[in-house]
Amino acid sequence: MNVTFVIIDDNEEIREHSLLFTLEDKYKNVNFYSNPNEGLQFIKDNLDVNLIVLLDIEFSEKDKKNGHILLEEIYNTSALIPVILWSGINETTEEFSDFINNHAFGFLSKTSTLDESMLIVDKAYNHLKNSLDNTIEDWIIQNEVDKDKTIYLNADGDSFSLNDILKEIRLQTPIGKEFSSKLNALTIDLLLRKKEKL
Amino acid sequence: MPKNSEKSIKFNFDVSAYRLLGRELITDRITALFELVKNSYDANAENVTVEFQNINPLSTDSKIIIKDDGIGMQFSDIKNKWMVIGTSSKRRERLSPSPHNRKVSGKKGVGRFAVDKLGEKLVLKTKKKNDSQLLCLETDWSHYSGLENSQFKLNFEDEKPFFTDVENSYWYEDDSKDNQGTTLEISLVSEIWTEEDVNRAYKELSKLVSPNSNLKKTYPFNITIKAPYSGFENKIVKTQLIDFATKKVELSFNAVNKKQEILQYNKAENDLSLISVPERPCGLLKLTLYYFNQEDKRKYKSHFKSDIDGIKIYRDGIITTPFAEYVSHQEKQKDILGIDKRRYSGFFERFGSRDLLGFVEITDENNPNIIESTNRQGFVDNEAWEELRKFIIEQIVQLETYYKNIKKSERESTKSSLGGASKDLKSIKKEIASIKKEASPQVKQKLKNIEANLGKIQGSVTKSIKDYANLEKESKQKENLFFSLVSLQTYAAMFSHMTKHTIGHILTSAEYFSKNYPNQKLESRFIKISKNIYNEMLKLRKGVDFMLKYAKSDTEFEEINVKNLVLNLFEDIYFDRFIDENIKTEIVINDDLILNYNRKSIEDIFDNLISNSIKALKGRNDKIIKCSSITSKNDLTILFSDNGIGIKEEDKFRIFDIFFTKTSEDGGAGMGLYMVKTRVEAMQGNIEVVENELKPSGATFKITLPFKK
Repeated sequence: MNVTFVIIDDNEEIREHSLLFTLEDKYKNVNFYSNPNEGLQFIKDNLDVNLIVLLDIEFSEKDKKNGHILLEEIYNTSALIPVILWSGINETTEEFSDFINNHAFGFLSKTSTLDESMLIVDKAYNHLKNSLDNTIEDWIIQNEVDKDKTIYLNADGDSFSLNDILKEIRLQTPIGKEFSSKLNALTIDLLLRKKEKL
Repeated sequence: MPKNSEKSIKFNFDVSAYRLLGRELITDRITALFELVKNSYDANAENVTVEFQNINPLSTDSKIIIKDDGIGMQFSDIKNKWMVIGTSSKRRERLSPSPHNRKVSGKKGVGRFAVDKLGEKLVLKTKKKNDSQLLCLETDWSHYSGLENSQFKLNFEDEKPFFTDVENSYWYEDDSKDNQGTTLEISLVSEIWTEEDVNRAYKELSKLVSPNSNLKKTYPFNITIKAPYSGFENKIVKTQLIDFATKKVELSFNAVNKKQEILQYNKAENDLSLISVPERPCGLLKLTLYYFNQEDKRKYKSHFKSDIDGIKIYRDGIITTPFAEYVSHQEKQKDILGIDKRRYSGFFERFGSRDLLGFVEITDENNPNIIESTNRQGFVDNEAWEELRKFIIEQIVQLETYYKNIKKSERESTKSSLGGASKDLKSIKKEIASIKKEASPQVKQKLKNIEANLGKIQGSVTKSIKDYANLEKESKQKENLFFSLVSLQTYAAMFSHMTKHTIGHILTSAEYFSKNYPNQKLESRFIKISKNIYNEMLKLRKGVDFMLKYAKSDTEFEEINVKNLVLNLFEDIYFDRFIDENIKTEIVINDDLILNYNRKSIEDIFDNLISNSIKALKGRNDKIIKCSSITSKNDLTILFSDNGIGIKEEDKFRIFDIFFTKTSEDGGAGMGLYMVKTRVEAMQGNIEVVENELKPSGATFKITLPFKK
């Protein structure tokens, strides 16, 4: 699975931080933004790829947005993106409220070693890998022929192929969300009725 | 998606709502009594009796009866007000019916649920004048709790009755036409009331009406307590009396030109005076403040058999509830004004709530934004409340400064009288010596003895003078040490923040090296990373150097080039901060201006002024900090300016007060400018806020230092 890292930190020195180099060595695609707005825009423009975000919390005065606000905006854009808070301040109750309210994926201290940091990063990677959209993507890669088959009709009578559905889920549209939850319900129903074999 | 068909659904209350509004909202019995007595006040009652029947031990005959002679209620009042949660009647009508026209104290419309805290069953009997029948209403909270319990066993949500479905029965009883008022008869009393409890209720109820209120004269409000304890057969609650105070201060306001009186300590005359300042955001208010020193506190306590218990807030003459909460240990009492929570409150002759009695008089009209919280345990946290707290602390600080200086001048006079005594002794000795020459042998012998004794006395006086000087030196040293510690704390925070980032950076860089080196492909990275490590190490070194200076001795004097010192702060120590915050600096100081003084003191002054300015510049555009100096024949003037938010007119008098800060948790804030002021005064200088040099907004501090002659 391909993944793109987005690192947002107003401190320009972080651009050459060893953690970024390590991410690049291991996962290839790493984008650094010292301007939070540009970083957010990149995320919004690339919802159809797998993103993992590392986000600073304390931004300097000139940036109107701090990490907490950004985290909220990213979550409102897509709930699928793991966002790891990466900060020099300690984990306090404030951060924990963010964990809960805006579903931060994890917390990394600026004093963490590369090994410690990569544990959380890899966890986020695996989380993405096992998500519904990536399962569908893996399916498409392995079974190219299923890609354009219509698999879903909604209440308005629109039809969606497996590939369409993948896009809807990644963009977190109402149809994508509806499909995800219906699929989960269906799976449970099948399991309960011992119909794992259709 | 199109709406298929739209229906509506209503909110409802679970039966447990009685608990939420009653026993779980009102956390103690005294507050509950207060709420009910206040209702009587609002109903124009002139007499209220709180009667405890068979309340120790508890039995089926245990009752608490609250009876008043107020205007009473008719059926429509019961139905539309008493039985409506959060009724707005008292918010609409802020005055009770004439002729009393009392400012009603209830507002939220939930006070009557306080009954639930006292007992489970209530029979309310009420009547208006000229009605011939008493209207009686029974509310059985135990019925609600029974329902609540049984509902846990029900499986289906739909079968459960709601809070609003429970029926409460009412009936009429005959009564004389002349009577009026409301009686609350509470049975199934929940807790024993011991003699001590009743005494507590008495003491707390005595604070219900402000001692400064003039309501007594026109339409009295008398509370009587009846309880089966000696002395409480028919005890009239009297308002708290105050005597023996060491100092009484009364602040008022002028509503016409919107001026508030505040206390101002006048250093030159060593006196407290009242000055008028523009209205503060908390609104105009009156404050009566009594201070008790140890001796007077003892007198007060033994005379009134009661504690000195801090500052209370009265709205339109009636106490606001948070202070009604009684706690057996005074130490555990809620300190919602933050008087005892002030940082380092053990130092500098701080006053605590046990040295002060105070009555803050606010009104609906002048202070509409100070709002009691529904649970009666505090106030809604908003600007007005914050300002009220600041206002009160500010007055206390002025009192403290006054007494601190009184002590200081007492010390001075002790010192000079000791010196005087030593002089007197010397001249007595001289006189004796001259008498001795002409005296008879007998007298000579006696005089010799006297001389010997005088010598001893002189010895001990000299020793006292020495001891005194040592003691003074010691306490001065202690104070200095304390200052260093406090400023060190501020730096420690800044320093550790910086080191944390730096160490993290170096750590991961080194880790990357050890993991990947050697690797031809990563060559360019290794170069970048090693450069990073070098730069971060330089930063760290700078920080350590700065910290080390703090460890240096505090008393050495040296020749200091002021311009270099400021340059060092601006362009080295604070360089990164200024870049981060986008602050431009400007220095206009003579190259050859030299001061002979303690370096750290002077650094402290500028350092605190800088951090103060950084805070003031938060969120502004085109930030500038400027430092300039003017030398004249007799003194040196330093102007330190920023173009930040500026200092509010109302803060100009208190900005240098120690611990003048909004929150006690706020790091070293509230110390900085006080330290600047003390440091400047230690140099025999003066600091003040003058008109801002940089426009349109900002602050300018003017420091004047005299040249030694």
